[in-house]
Amino acid sequence: MKTKPITLLVGALGGEGGGVLTEWLVETARHAGYPAQATSIPGVAQRTGATTYYIEVFPVAMKDLGGKRPVFSLNPVPGALDALVCSELLETARQVGNGLASPDRTVVISSSARALTTMERMQMGDGRVDNAELLKVVQQFSKVHHVFDMNAIAKEAGTVVSAVLLGAIAGSGLFPFRREDYEAVVKSGGKGAEASLRGFAKAFDIVAKGKQQQDFLAQVMQPKAAQPVRSKSVHPTGIFPAQVEEMFGLGYARLVEYQGKAYADLYVKRLKSVLEAETDADPRGERGYAITKEMARWLALWMAFDDIVRVADLKSRASRWTRVQGEVKAGEDDLLKVYDHFKPGVPEFAAMLPQSFADKLVAWDRRRVAGGKQPWALPLKIGTHSVFGMLALRTLAGTRWLRPHGSRFALEQRMIEQWLQGVVQGTQRLWDLGHEIALCGRLIKGYGSTNERGKENLLHVLEHLAKGGVPAEAAAAVRAARVAALADDAGKALDATLVQHGAPPRPVKAVPIHWVRKPRGVAAADETNLKTN
Amino acid sequence: MEVSFSKEIESLRLGAGDTFHGEGILAITKALLQSGVAYVGGYQGAPVSHLLDVMVQAKGYMDELGVHVEACSNEASAAAMLGASIHYPLRGAVTWKSIVGTNVAADALSNLSSPGVTGGALIVVGEDYGEGASVIQERTHAFALKSGMCLLDPRPDLGVMTRMVEEGFRLSETSNMPAILELRIRACHVRGSFEAKDNLKPPVSTRALMENPAGFDYMKLAHPPVTFRHEKLKYEQRIPAARQYIVEQKLNELFDGKHTDLGIIVQGGLYNALIRSLQQLGLADAFGETDIPILCLNVAYPLVPEQVADFCVGRRAVLVVEEGQPEFIEQEIATLLRRRDIQTKLHGKDLLPMGGEYTVEALSIGLTQFASSYLPGPAVEEAKRWLAGNKDRREAAAKLTQPLPARPPGFCIGCPERPVFSALKLAQEQIGKVHIAADIGCHALGTFEPFSSGHSILGYGMSLASRAGVSPMMQRRTLAIMGDGGFWHNGLLTGVQSALFNGDDAVLLIFKNGYTSATGTQEIISTPHEDAKYNAADKSASIVHTNQTIESALKGLGVQWMRTVTTYEVEEMRRTLTDAFTSDFNGLKVIIAEGECQLERQRRIKPWIQSLLKKGERVVRVKYGVDEDVCNGDHACIRLSGCPTLTIKDNPDPLKVDPVATVIDGCVGCGLCGANAHAATLCPSFYRAEVVQNPKWHERLLNSFRGAIVRALQPA
Repeated sequence: MKTKPITLLVGALGGEGGGVLTEWLVETARHAGYPAQATSIPGVAQRTGATTYYIEVFPVAMKDLGGKRPVFSLNPVPGALDALVCSELLETARQVGNGLASPDRTVVISSSARALTTMERMQMGDGRVDNAELLKVVQQFSKVHHVFDMNAIAKEAGTVVSAVLLGAIAGSGLFPFRREDYEAVVKSGGKGAEASLRGFAKAFDIVAKGKQQQDFLAQVMQPKAAQPVRSKSVHPTGIFPAQVEEMFGLGYARLVEYQGKAYADLYVKRLKSVLEAETDADPRGERGYAITKEMARWLALWMAFDDIVRVADLKSRASRWTRVQGEVKAGEDDLLKVYDHFKPGVPEFAAMLPQSFADKLVAWDRRRVAGGKQPWALPLKIGTHSVFGMLALRTLAGTRWLRPHGSRFALEQRMIEQWLQGVVQGTQRLWDLGHEIALCGRLIKGYGSTNERGKENLLHVLEHLAKGGVPAEAAAAVRAARVAALADDAGKALDATLVQHGAPPRPVKAVPIHWVRKPRGVAAADETNLKTN
Repeated sequence: MEVSFSKEIESLRLGAGDTFHGEGILAITKALLQSGVAYVGGYQGAPVSHLLDVMVQAKGYMDELGVHVEACSNEASAAAMLGASIHYPLRGAVTWKSIVGTNVAADALSNLSSPGVTGGALIVVGEDYGEGASVIQERTHAFALKSGMCLLDPRPDLGVMTRMVEEGFRLSETSNMPAILELRIRACHVRGSFEAKDNLKPPVSTRALMENPAGFDYMKLAHPPVTFRHEKLKYEQRIPAARQYIVEQKLNELFDGKHTDLGIIVQGGLYNALIRSLQQLGLADAFGETDIPILCLNVAYPLVPEQVADFCVGRRAVLVVEEGQPEFIEQEIATLLRRRDIQTKLHGKDLLPMGGEYTVEALSIGLTQFASSYLPGPAVEEAKRWLAGNKDRREAAAKLTQPLPARPPGFCIGCPERPVFSALKLAQEQIGKVHIAADIGCHALGTFEPFSSGHSILGYGMSLASRAGVSPMMQRRTLAIMGDGGFWHNGLLTGVQSALFNGDDAVLLIFKNGYTSATGTQEIISTPHEDAKYNAADKSASIVHTNQTIESALKGLGVQWMRTVTTYEVEEMRRTLTDAFTSDFNGLKVIIAEGECQLERQRRIKPWIQSLLKKGERVVRVKYGVDEDVCNGDHACIRLSGCPTLTIKDNPDPLKVDPVATVIDGCVGCGLCGANAHAATLCPSFYRAEVVQNPKWHERLLNSFRGAIVRALQPA
């Protein structure tokens, strides 16, 4: 007679129905006539936090125990788990990393789905934890593992993930219950039982047959195959090496669409200068023309900088309307209304004006801010589904021809040239240096203050680090600064890195002083002291 | 509170011959009725909220039994309710989350314990200690010691837990001491079964009223000079009476084992973990048959010196398994052994950790050392290998990944409190950082990413009071944040009244969401009335404005600067915060941040929408979205929101590398994304989609005309 309870730890997020799942399991045990106990710590589970549920079942039927009752544990015991089942991949890896699962005993069943944590989502670049790393943990410390997308199955079945978890547990044969025992309990749930059973059945089959998940494993663990991308326009060929061709084609097409062929040809000219420098630095192309390839990407993106004209164009396309319809799952008979949130300010309008007008407008706004007001901006909610809204967007999109005459266009071109020179000169000094400066293109993105911050950071790095005495050191410094610039939007990490590499921190920006109050006990004459602080 | 406990209420009606199946805390609730409890009170808090929630919802059945149920305004008022048991033969029970609730109740508990009780008084506390805890890690045990209350710590078996409720009342009556029944989180939520008994109608109840009050008896007052006599009664009569009862009724359990020269004394609540740990060492079987004798203390205070001495005498060594610090039980046993000159070696905190939850693994580490010294053999070596294996696996796993990001709880999707933290972040960008006194409640989730806001949390409703020493020392004004739950629990008096009395220059922001949401959306005095819910034409709209109790209370106290802002209006909220921080008005400034708890709203909206759709009526569903080709991949929107449905995905543009923001299913269309886009001048990628289901015929007509023109204007 096996005398150890079967132990199961379930990891889930708050609101996923873990409580219902444990109830189902305990009820199923009762239905099948086995002693069982479940417990949980839902106190912190509320609102999507991670939590766990713990279940023990004694593998001998109640009737064969002669009135004896097993003593169950309320805590999961690391290294003594028979199964770990989780609805989220990172949480699975967390529990495994906590030592709960062991390769000689534990069956690990995990959803491949990720619910990204806030920490991962809020980063300026890509803060996501690598799925392959998580899977490695699962694989290495489990006896058997099943990984498949439980979220997708729940969605398909129109149910919640708890039913899928139950199916996976049942399908694993962990407990001495029959499939009917589980199903009987789910059925008695009444409302939503049909959908729950569908989700249950799918997961049951997947785990029992151990099939589908192999596909996912293979997909994640293998390096991503490059997806062939076809560009819409015909780009000049034979100018750039094969390794650069695809990215160049994409970039060229983007710029034709953005401003026309002449502008795209300027892109070709600029990129050629990079290629020349790189060919000098690496005549045999041993580095795979990585600098030119990266520049093909970042140069195209910077040259096609986002402005109101571009946004109006993107938002008023038919393809966009179709995409939104799909995203919000609007049915055939439903009406769809789409409102777009815009808040153009003085810089956006000044961008489209010639320099002298733009200067005046910006100066006016500065005076407003100095006077304690907010910078001027126009919050708009435009109905893209309406005739007026669409007309407004198309009109704005139609002012593309004005763009090259605007003040921003000139400014951007100056900065692009500065950066381009930096890359070319850097490459001439040392391939690595040129490569690092090219990668700094990643800092340029977006609109308004995000865009300005990126440009300022890049130019500051270019000015103070890229020209450093020893090229190899300069390359390392540029790399460190680039990583730091993506660490926080206040630029604290960047400033620290700059100082660490002997460069000055970015200049402090003037901020209007907001006078708050006169604290009690401070005489009127002393007020000025506080103000200047 | 729109969660229904109808199933749980049914199980409260079970009688003799039935088997109760369910959660620990509900078993306790049932046991109260089986004990003939006459009145029940308490303040909600995990993990004991359900006790009160179920009883409040079971009002009809409670009336039938004659049991009075009161949802108290805080733990102090709950503890004070037990005053009924001082004079009258009434059994009363109250409940709350400890340690915090016991702290709040401490004054009443002292004053209750001093005169002592006639009717049994039982305090059911959720011992919020260890994994899953949300409060300070302290022991309730200290309160039992200092005030002279019995402390029951039943082993987590539904049969024993329910028996200890009944015994707790009798123990309390026998000794005149109030009794505390402590339940750890996992014991509250354990699912098991026990043989039910019939519920007892209390002899004196709301259906069998007392004719006259008790006669005057100065001894029943916690007032000098009789308090001096009370103190003596505690050790001369009450504790001895309790000890006698504990021994006679065998409340503590003795489990014999073959190694009679060793012993373990364990708090009842840790019994199961101990047994599993012994199993890991090959010293117990699956049914709890142990090789080392165990004294299981279902009553952790008072200890019975004779019982403990008898258990210890003649053994080589005894291990005391006692969770948390300080080690009250171990110290008492040490004193006791020393005084009696019993030479048994005493182990406890020398082998087991001083702090932290006693999980099976933590226990096993100590127990392995104990066994190494006294029972060396292959089983111990096996256990050592198991423990070492755990350590190795953890180290190896840590090398495979970067440290994994934590996943703390966060605001619900569409929570009305999230926008306020967005506004606060924006306001501080403008006027500089301010000191923020945070508080207990859902809004404490604002201390996590992406807001990371708040300098201190001093207790429930204490935020405004806790900035009183800071604001006079600070150039900028400080902000105190409080929920409506905290406001009524404590904040109105400790904070508002004090600030007004002292003429303090302070800013207070009250989240008026209508419920004490963090504990399970229980109702409070400012909860919208049922008829407001019923009368609202648009059931999806917030209706908290229909109850003005908070505003009237503040006005009544003399608050002169008060603004009410709908929380989703981020720009308006930012402006109001800035106004409060910069205003010339030097007194207390109160901002009421109004927006009904989203959980409650969704519980109301879902069935309403379902019913409209069923009838084929017009329904508008709102969802926000991000245009992937417009999104700049900077994620500033996420740093201002943190909503679970605003997440990121791979950039579909092969030129770009950083992931783009996306709004996934589950978005309830609260509007924060749009409001933030405007208030913070975010990138123009957000759109608001309104899907009209079952549109009216003229809408359809207009739409087809409009659609034709719009399509003609659109390029591919």
